Amino acid sequence: MESTPTPGVGRRTLIKSGVALGAMSLAGPAIIQARGETPVKLGWIDPLTGSLSALAQSEVEGAKYAVSVLNKKNGILGRPIELLVEDSANDVGTGVAKARKLIDRDHVNMIFGDVNSGIAYAIEGVTNEKKIFHIVPGGHTDEITGKDCKWNVFRICNTTSMDANAVTGELIKHYGKRWYFITPDYAYGHTLQAAFIRALKKHGGEYQAAMMPIAASDFSATLIKARAYKPNVLLNNMGGLAQIDCMKQFVQFGMNKQMGLGGALYELESIKAVPPVAQTGWWDMEWWWNQPNVPEAVAFVKAFRAATGKTPSARHWFGWVAIHTAKMAAEKAKSLEAIKLARATEGMELPPDVALQPGKVFYRAGDHQLMPNIFVGQVHPPKGDDNVFTVADAVPGASIWPLADTGCHMAYPA
Amino acid sequence: MSETTIPAMADRTQQRNWLPLAAIWLVLITVPIWLPYVGGYNALASRVLVFGLAAMGLNLLLGFTGTMSFGHAAYFGLGAYGAGFVLRYWIHSTPLAMLAAILLGTAAGALFGALMAKRTGIYFAMLTIAFAQICYYVAYSWNSVTGGYDGLRGFQRAPLHFGPYIVNIRDNGVLFYYFVLAVFAICTGLMAMLLRSPLGRSFIAIRENPRRTRFLGIPVERHVWISFTISAFFTSVAGGLYALLNNFADPTALFYVISGNIVIMAVMGGMRSFWGPLIGAAVFVTLQDYISSMTVNWMSFIGMIFVAVVLFFPRGLLGFIGRRRRA
Repeated sequence: MESTPTPGVGRRTLIKSGVALGAMSLAGPAIIQARGETPVKLGWIDPLTGSLSALAQSEVEGAKYAVSVLNKKNGILGRPIELLVEDSANDVGTGVAKARKLIDRDHVNMIFGDVNSGIAYAIEGVTNEKKIFHIVPGGHTDEITGKDCKWNVFRICNTTSMDANAVTGELIKHYGKRWYFITPDYAYGHTLQAAFIRALKKHGGEYQAAMMPIAASDFSATLIKARAYKPNVLLNNMGGLAQIDCMKQFVQFGMNKQMGLGGALYELESIKAVPPVAQTGWWDMEWWWNQPNVPEAVAFVKAFRAATGKTPSARHWFGWVAIHTAKMAAEKAKSLEAIKLARATEGMELPPDVALQPGKVFYRAGDHQLMPNIFVGQVHPPKGDDNVFTVADAVPGASIWPLADTGCHMAYPA
Repeated sequence: MSETTIPAMADRTQQRNWLPLAAIWLVLITVPIWLPYVGGYNALASRVLVFGLAAMGLNLLLGFTGTMSFGHAAYFGLGAYGAGFVLRYWIHSTPLAMLAAILLGTAAGALFGALMAKRTGIYFAMLTIAFAQICYYVAYSWNSVTGGYDGLRGFQRAPLHFGPYIVNIRDNGVLFYYFVLAVFAICTGLMAMLLRSPLGRSFIAIRENPRRTRFLGIPVERHVWISFTISAFFTSVAGGLYALLNNFADPTALFYVISGNIVIMAVMGGMRSFWGPLIGAAVFVTLQDYISSMTVNWMSFIGMIFVAVVLFFPRGLLGFIGRRRRA
């Protein structure tokens, strides 16, 4: 049989066109734009895919918003800021590889990341080895600014111990001393649960606990065990999608009528994703947008909503603070050298338009941990736009997490 | 090094041709010179070699013995943990770390291979996944030893000591690349020799016609087991290098996604050619590196490219090029 010539686009043409198009898209990454002045490159690593993606995307949004604001105000050291964002895919190995890529290929001046404590912890090893200034915006495990603290690493979000210590009293007061933990089986979960247990034991409480994979989606067996234990309160320590799934199943099982709900973090992104009946319990917020008595916070929320159409969450605030910290440190040090940046950041106090909350917010020199307020309060169904949390108390971080408890012995290179 | 420049194609129909081989080694040896000009970096080149070696190791089983494994991440990950355990808990020595990587990965390969060798086809492939997932969950759950989900941290590759001379592969990325290249060269040399030996020929005979091979008096199951163990050996070497590259080992290295990626590399590059898996690894790792900077949906692009290769170049990229050259 003879083959007949095909009119129009042939297979070879199609393949060649595809290859050519692919090559064109690879030739110039869209995020890198030519500018007259050499930009200050900031490398940002977060799990933009996976179970923590909503939190990660908020952090990146906050950072991008800060970059857009600061680039209109002369950038960093008079140079424009270029933000290079990489997806760690909620996977420690990928996060480590992305850190090396940003440092070795893109020659970034600073590294930021990661939401996932395990990844943040692992990236810390790379940035310390490469002597790169590193800010952890949202990875909570104690060790990062605790016994494994590093001279080049600073953290914005609270430690798990700060979060646990802040809310334990309210949980005991409102529910009782018999607790059941559902905790993710990685660095964040381990230290958070340990901190809660320490605090609970001080009050003579008792507990049972279940460790779940970080991206677990089926909690039925664990919730049945929890119900059998008859706790006063269930502490849902999961994060992101896993926490949302756990909340939904908790309500579907009717357990909200049998026990209280609470824990350390129930973030705005997660609260908005669950049914109203699961919007309950006593929790911490690491920053809360509704602070009518703080004019800087009111102005920030208004401007952020106008720019993005969203109400800022604590994760957005982490991104905002991270980029401002980079600017303030560089301008105080008059340099982008990691050691000078670290020295400049130690003890640095955030101005009101960056801190966006009452009181003194500063990076503690001894452990490089930001010391903000922890907003303790009650989650409830919306009372107006995104008003799902009522603050009962703003606890200064330094008051519940003294330096002596951290185990950090800061050592700089000779 | 001269050992490694032996053409390794065991295909009788292919004529010996030194030029492509010389080109491959020239490209690999000069990587640190030209790579920065095309937007690359040393760690990326090292990662290409590491996954290239893993894919070539798998291909010994897949392409040359005709047996499919979807669980080679087990030997890759165990290699990584083997190296990590030595550096983290025992002694600061890169050669001993590599030795432990080989021992752990190869011993597991020999053990699992012995349990699977009598199965064929889909049953064999399913068992490979099952054993790999067992390893993954052990690493994930054994927090006190493996570091659990967070991985094994707190170790660094050690400089190499040659009498009074010290090669600082710890701090110098270029020297580490050459260390990886040297290990890669030794492994590919061994693979080439193996494939030209009677044992290697018997692997190819099993691939071509297992029943006839059995009638010739060759114990097929035993040879599949030997091929599996040798394949696990090379993959565990790659795993050990991966741990040294990252100064880190985590359960993801044992996960079935890595197994799938290694298969994709081998198939994409060309599983009937000796160097095909290296080409597949270079394409996969480089695309992953570049596209993941642009979009979080980078796996979709890799998937589309894989589908295109399977549809249009069923013998892989290198198989296609070889056929064009012969035509």
